[in-house]
Amino acid sequence: MIEIPFRRHRLDNGLRIILSPERGAPVVAVNIWYGVGSRDERPGRTGFAHLFEHMMFQGSEHVPESMHFALIEQAGGSLNGSTWLDRTNYFETVPSHHLERALWLEADRMGWLLPAMTQEKLDNQRDVVKNERRWRVDNQPYGDWDERLQTMVYPEDHPYHHSVIGSMADLDAATLEDVEQFFRTYYAPNNAVLTVCGDFEDERALALIDKHFGGIPPGPDVPAIPGRTDIPTVLERHTAATVSQDISLPRLYLAYRTPSYGSEDFYTAMVASYILGWGKASVLYRQLVREQRVAQDVVAFQFPIVVGAAMLVVWATAMPAQDPQKLEDAMRSAMRGMRDITEHDVQRAIHLIEARQLADLQRVDERADMLSMFTMLFDQPERINAELDRIRAVSLGDMRAFVERHLDDEVAASLLYVPAAAEEAA
Amino acid sequence: MSTRHAPTPPEPGPVRAFDFPVIHDDRIGDAGLRVLTASHGDLPLVTAHLVLDAGAGAEPEGLDGVARLTANAMEAGTRKRNADQLAWALESLGVELDTGTGWDAGHLAITVPTDRLEDALALFAEIVRRPAFPADQIERLREEQLAGILQRRKEPRALGDDMAARYIFAEGMPYGRPVVGREATVRGLGADHVAAFYEARYRPGSGALVFTGDITAERAAGLARSHFGDWNSGAAQPARVPVQPRVDTTTIFVVDRPGSVQSEIRIGDVGVERAHPDFFPLIVFNTILGGAFTSRLNMNLRERHGFTYGVNSGFAFRRQPGPFSISAAVATDVTARAVEEALSEMRGLHDGGATAQELDAARDYLRGVLPLTLQTTDQLAGRVAEIVVFDLPIDYFVQYRDHIADVTADDVARVARDRLRLSRLAIVVVGDAEQITKPLQDLGIGPVQVVDGP
Repeated sequence: MIEIPFRRHRLDNGLRIILSPERGAPVVAVNIWYGVGSRDERPGRTGFAHLFEHMMFQGSEHVPESMHFALIEQAGGSLNGSTWLDRTNYFETVPSHHLERALWLEADRMGWLLPAMTQEKLDNQRDVVKNERRWRVDNQPYGDWDERLQTMVYPEDHPYHHSVIGSMADLDAATLEDVEQFFRTYYAPNNAVLTVCGDFEDERALALIDKHFGGIPPGPDVPAIPGRTDIPTVLERHTAATVSQDISLPRLYLAYRTPSYGSEDFYTAMVASYILGWGKASVLYRQLVREQRVAQDVVAFQFPIVVGAAMLVVWATAMPAQDPQKLEDAMRSAMRGMRDITEHDVQRAIHLIEARQLADLQRVDERADMLSMFTMLFDQPERINAELDRIRAVSLGDMRAFVERHLDDEVAASLLYVPAAAEEAA
Repeated sequence: MSTRHAPTPPEPGPVRAFDFPVIHDDRIGDAGLRVLTASHGDLPLVTAHLVLDAGAGAEPEGLDGVARLTANAMEAGTRKRNADQLAWALESLGVELDTGTGWDAGHLAITVPTDRLEDALALFAEIVRRPAFPADQIERLREEQLAGILQRRKEPRALGDDMAARYIFAEGMPYGRPVVGREATVRGLGADHVAAFYEARYRPGSGALVFTGDITAERAAGLARSHFGDWNSGAAQPARVPVQPRVDTTTIFVVDRPGSVQSEIRIGDVGVERAHPDFFPLIVFNTILGGAFTSRLNMNLRERHGFTYGVNSGFAFRRQPGPFSISAAVATDVTARAVEEALSEMRGLHDGGATAQELDAARDYLRGVLPLTLQTTDQLAGRVAEIVVFDLPIDYFVQYRDHIADVTADDVARVARDRLRLSRLAIVVVGDAEQITKPLQDLGIGPVQVVDGP
């Protein structure tokens, strides 16, 4: 069986460290998770966690503007960051002789970011992020699906009610003062996990980490996640919305509340999503695409999120000239059909997940990100070697109970996109 | 506890050499199917990747889209199993069939845990060698392909790419249309066309089976022999793709998308063929222009002006010259300014070449990132397949980083002058014509035509 080796350490300032050697290729991945995401944003500042992530690439006290990217690219490395509901991560993969450069850069912005912040940089990155929103959401067919589903699945006072990208008005309202306050509140070693994975020697890496991060003082205790975080893991009532857009083909999304990531039932939900929509023997593909030919594609997946409840989403895009009502009837009938699945469906899904996870673990950046994730979310990096056992333990009985409780076809968040012209004609 | 941080970046440690995995090169069977094997990684995973001379460039006149339809039809069933049974058999092993269609080649691949390789490869061979092409399933796949073509018209990025290809290449040139084909031709495709394309192009003598991951060359050759050793249908005829540019003077084509909050910009030209002697200078040049985050285009359009979330440039290297293009999605109200800034960066590199610092950075970047793009068995298989498709020497990737290191400032200046032909660009802008046409005309860089979409 797969055993990803790792050791954990902790600096006096609270920084959690995971070291996971993999000496195959001369590359090393450095990955930092900060325990802050869009869930932590205050009303009027949606999108700020992500805008802040952009500011982290604008230089720090000892790193001149644009040099963060330049120093990694010149080293022959790749880098990025991403913001999600529960966290913000930063990562670079570099040839292993440049490990210290990556650590120095990450430490400089963790400890010494604010002296480099200017109004000009904020205005520039605000424009970049607004263009990111246009690109991902506003100028993209079906681009606002997640934003809409989040408002339907989570109540207004829940931290997942709003999207990561946030609203244009809130992005416009962000100030340099917000940058400073957000940094002082969330960006501190005691709210971070640092993982190094790849080609390095444990003792030397630990010494370098201590050298660069050891002098960063801890921050205050991180505030509680705002809003109502405790909600039922089953939707209380059915909601439906129809959106008319400049698209060619109707698409229907159905979303369900499911147990949050980390709970045992989460893994049942994950297997359910594979049974539903992963591969050409999945329930939705078989019925909607191959047999009834009402859909052109089907997708199903589970959001791995931790606050209160997660979300399972399925969607299907209609074939041309297909009546959206017929698509909806077919989809709800397929959801009802989940009650009749067999052991074969469960085993097929488990085997697909196994192969996919194995494939993901080939990359040192993926290994590092998983180790950071399991440490940040559950304080259990060992989950990297135990996740598959949890998935394999899902039984047909678990699945039937899950379907009965969570995938009621009468109670879902139902979001239908229709082509603008077709709706006018109707 | 100190609160000071080291003020300058630390010096690098000792370099550990990167060795591209050794590739074993065998031939099996009467048809001489090439079997390339690269042992790789520490996980029990194997990729089997069959690359065939079955790209869109080999499609018969009037049947464009048939290469993609044939690739998809491989999963429509075999002579032993219908589509549903085949999907169950594969996915019960945890395997998803990966198929791809480019201009020069098509591929089928599986990535599988080592202990299921034997069963998975038997199925893989059944798919490759005994497809049934049932008319009813082919019809369904054709309708799905048509639905995909319909969706590309409303998806601004795909629309930008498709319209750029149309206006970079002269009318009637294959590279001027998308690999998925056009509605008019795909509508006429059926099982007979698929079977004929399969018969003509899916041939062992002009393909290769690549194994990467947890496998030895001996085991790979043994497996290849037992499943493909008697596959004897010879080789496919080499395809010829004619290439002619569309414009001889810089022209802006505006594709109207009313209400669009961004404009998808493509600044394009005909590029060069993969075998061009300037291949390495060109990729260094492109890294400096728009091939990295810190490229001139991105530092200007994103980091200085905030016009876009990102801009990039690139050559599509094919056996014949593919497109060279710059791509960006910019806010509607800055469309013309973004085009102007992009052209000014092109002019700057054309006239002045690159600085020594840029050249060093680009070479170091390209040399360093190679191993990062080879971490997985399927990434590695894809790169090994390039050796087959472009007829490269077997030690090509071993030499790759030395070739990059050999690129000089003069090389970059020369290819920048050769390839940045500012007077004959095809510029495509997908956006709100009412708002962007006048400012684009005011740039005075060439005629502006508002054109229909596909």
